Amino acid sequence: MKRMSFPSRLEWNDEIQDIIRAAAGGFLFGIPLLYTMEVWWIGSYTEPPLMLGILATTFVIVFLLNHTDGFRQIRPDRPTQAMTDSIEAIAISTICATFILTLLREITSTTPLDEALGKIVLEGVPFALGVALARSILQGDRFESSQATEHQEAASEPSGHPPSASKPSHYNATLADIGATLIGTIIIAFNIAPTDEVPMLVAAASPPWLIAIVLASLLISYSIVFLAGFTAQQQRIQQRGPFQHPITETLVSYLISLLAAALMLWFFHRLSFADPWTSWLENTVILGLPATIGGAAGRLAV
Amino acid sequence: MKRSVSQGQFSRGQFSRSSQRSRLSAEAITIAISSLIVAALIGLILLVWITKDDRPPILSISTPEAVRQEQGYYYVPFTVKNDGGGTAESVQVIGELRINGQVEEQGEQQIDFLSSREEEEGAFVFSRNPALGDLVLRIASYKLP
Repeated sequence: MKRMSFPSRLEWNDEIQDIIRAAAGGFLFGIPLLYTMEVWWIGSYTEPPLMLGILATTFVIVFLLNHTDGFRQIRPDRPTQAMTDSIEAIAISTICATFILTLLREITSTTPLDEALGKIVLEGVPFALGVALARSILQGDRFESSQATEHQEAASEPSGHPPSASKPSHYNATLADIGATLIGTIIIAFNIAPTDEVPMLVAAASPPWLIAIVLASLLISYSIVFLAGFTAQQQRIQQRGPFQHPITETLVSYLISLLAAALMLWFFHRLSFADPWTSWLENTVILGLPATIGGAAGRLAV
Repeated sequence: MKRSVSQGQFSRGQFSRSSQRSRLSAEAITIAISSLIVAALIGLILLVWITKDDRPPILSISTPEAVRQEQGYYYVPFTVKNDGGGTAESVQVIGELRINGQVEEQGEQQIDFLSSREEEEGAFVFSRNPALGDLVLRIASYKLP
């Protein structure tokens, strides 16, 4: 009998990074549709045959996208690779959509199975597209950047000059990050702030779930910027400045996103100064999730 | 930059070569788990399809909790349930308080969506004590999505 050996830690690191990159792409693409109540409603009365049809269509589109894009660092040019990557894309999108729908209390323990499945399948579509576009979604030059992040170990060799040297000053890097976070936050959250979904989700969220949303926001933001291996990740880790440590940067940019979310809600008359502080807090945390995902994307893109 | 790229590809190549010999690659494990997840999703959809109830919506209303009095008003909680197969949209719930045969107070509520076996809760608020008259709670209408 052949002895079976398990994958090495290095190999797992690569694989897990691929999966995190896939999920990050999914979140960037899928979040706006998650904050659309019509999709929850349509999901709750979608018939099973249509669900299978949607899954099949998504699979075909993701398969075609995986031929040219995909979420792995190496181009999946073989059809079998694109096929298995597509199955993974559907699985990752299903998990991510279920996670966020549960977090936002759109799927609870009392939700009937058919309704939950309809919501997951429908919300999974943009996630799956995001997964399939993950590699190119935030990369200016597809080839150069995918090669640049190919192996971080190689990039951290002492032979390369530190990327932070190209920055004129530490404070400039911090200011650029704050600006980029704001731009990304505004691009994503400005579309969501004036809609009725925010108060609807607030109504469904109890304090423990709000804490879970805060933690999820931080985790997703950190994963997108520092774990997913998008273009400028290595450069970001090595940046020096007052807020450039990965955890500090994640926290600070989350606070910036929350502040921007609160301002946007006020701007659209969703919140007024007469409202109790609890509704400011709840609304801001709910809008903070898409806002911080936008902010993370902004810091990578700008 | 070029050098690091070729190193990267080389180490990838090593993985795939060694995986042909005896080992389980990390990718193979994730593919297996992913296939299980997708199979489970399709399986659940098929299960829902097979066990699907073809009956139209069957709506019922009940008052599981006692009437409570707050600041001179009477709150009558209600639960609406759909025991049928299909989803009902815009379910209209009407609550009437009749005293001596006359409708003294009336409330109306709309529930956006009520899918099969789903429950929704709400309350009617009356200024008179419902115990002094006849309380009528009923579903008046719905539409199909």
